[in-house]
Amino acid sequence: MSKKQMLGSRVKELLAGVSDHGVDHLVEVETDLVQTTLLLAEAIEKLGASFLDLHSSITVQEEHIREIISDGKVPQESVDKLAQIQADIALHINRAVTSLQFQDLTSQLISRTVQRSAGLRELLSTLDVGNDIPHDGGTEEIAGVLSEITERLQRQSIELKSLLRKTVNQQHLDSGDIELF
Amino acid sequence: MAKTILAVDDSGSLRQMVAFSLKAAGYQVIEAVDGQDGLEKAKNQVVDLVLTDQNMPRMDGLTLIKSLRALSTYQRVPILMLTTESSDDMKAKGRAAGANGWLVKPFDPQKLTEVVKKVIG
Repeated sequence: MSKKQMLGSRVKELLAGVSDHGVDHLVEVETDLVQTTLLLAEAIEKLGASFLDLHSSITVQEEHIREIISDGKVPQESVDKLAQIQADIALHINRAVTSLQFQDLTSQLISRTVQRSAGLRELLSTLDVGNDIPHDGGTEEIAGVLSEITERLQRQSIELKSLLRKTVNQQHLDSGDIELF
Repeated sequence: MAKTILAVDDSGSLRQMVAFSLKAAGYQVIEAVDGQDGLEKAKNQVVDLVLTDQNMPRMDGLTLIKSLRALSTYQRVPILMLTTESSDDMKAKGRAAGANGWLVKPFDPQKLTEVVKKVIG
């Protein structure tokens, strides 16, 4: 095989390799992300149900405490202490409600990542040029095909970016701004 | 009689937390899973306030607001957006569509109920 023939084959081999390996790894990334989504969905369902059950129990307990206090036999010091505990519980519940919204934010981010990965897979398949580069293709012919691929990659990358607008910019689970118009 | 709020969000956990917070404050809550579902439920029963997410399948929040504002029964009903989106551009679009306020997720239940109280009492 001449050097000229070797170059065409090697370029084809390199591009097909990048495409195949890239696609294989991205498929794994997507599988893991889908699994993560399922686990997070199950976790939030269980956490939500436990939170509501816990809140119901606390409400019943608080009513019972109120009844006990109402007969006036409980020392004032204990009544004050119980009131403080109730205020603390209310604060913890508020914080839990804010934190339990994590799944809404993370699922949007994961979904965007899965879409980007799928788009990148398609983009990588562009590199699999098949017979576009003949085995005995010269340097100019190879350069022409590579430049076409570069243009296609750029076009697809821009398209992908335009489809994937970022909708979640939050870095923390602190409550967000409120604005009335 | 308790005032009724329509909570529209495709996230079940978010709807659960919104319903929990507003019910605890004495409001009645109707849940809808996306804009289309929200529009249908809003047509079935005129509510006192609509709280909607933006990014949802089938129909997004801005389209829902425009569709509701096109109905004579919803021209004066307050509509608040509750979304992860916080850009000025999106807020301007919401305002132009007919939203009365913009709340960025995640929400604090106390702040949410304070805003709702301020808007519908």
